[in-house]
Amino acid sequence: MKKDKFRLILIAILTFTLLVGIALYGFIAISEKEVKLGSLISILIPLLLVIFMTFFIRRRYRDIKQGMPLEDEMSRKVMTQAAAKSFYVSLYWLLCISFFEGFFADKLFGLEQLDASQTVGGGIAGMAVAFFIFWIYYNRKGKLI
Amino acid sequence: MKNRIKEFRAKYNLTQEDLARKVGVRRETIVFLEKDKYNPSLNLAYKVAKALKATIDELFCFEG
Repeated sequence: MKKDKFRLILIAILTFTLLVGIALYGFIAISEKEVKLGSLISILIPLLLVIFMTFFIRRRYRDIKQGMPLEDEMSRKVMTQAAAKSFYVSLYWLLCISFFEGFFADKLFGLEQLDASQTVGGGIAGMAVAFFIFWIYYNRKGKLI
Repeated sequence: MKNRIKEFRAKYNLTQEDLARKVGVRRETIVFLEKDKYNPSLNLAYKVAKALKATIDELFCFEG
C-alpha cells in the first residue's frame, strides 16, 4: 500500500512537471510571437494528457484510500495491450509523417521541411495519443486477449 | 466464459468492493469479470473461488 501511494505521488509530480513545462513553452511561444498551429498542437496534446492524468490520479487516490491496489492483473493487461496496439499504429503514423512531411511542415510550422526534433516529436505525440485512445477503449470494452 | 460470481457474491452478501479487497484486485476487475468481459488467469480464478468459498468449476463455465 505504501508503494502504491509512493507511485501515485510520483505520477502526480510528473504530471505537475509536465504542466509547468506546458506553461513555460506556451509563455515562450507567445513572447516570441511564434504561435503557429504546430506550437498549439504541441501545447494541446500534453494539456489533454495533464487533464486525463488529473482524473486518473483522483480516481486512483480514492481507490487507494478504500484499500484497493493501484494496479492489478487486468490493468496490467490493458496497459500491455494498449502499448502493443499503439506501437503497431505508430509504425503507420511514422510512415504517414515521412510521406507527407512537406504538407505537415507547411501547414503546421510554415516551413519547407520538418527538422529532426519536430519529426521525432510528432512521432512520439502520435504514439502517446494512440496509447491513450487504446487504453480508454480497452478499459471500457474489456475483451482482452 | 460464463461465471456465477454475482450469484455467489449475493449468497455471501458481499459488495463488489468487498470481494475486490478480499481478492486484492481493483473493483473494475470484478465488474468486468461479472459481465464476462474479462477472462481471468488461473491464479485470479483460484483467488476469486477461494474468496467465495467455491471451486473454480462451480464458479466458471467454459463455453467453447
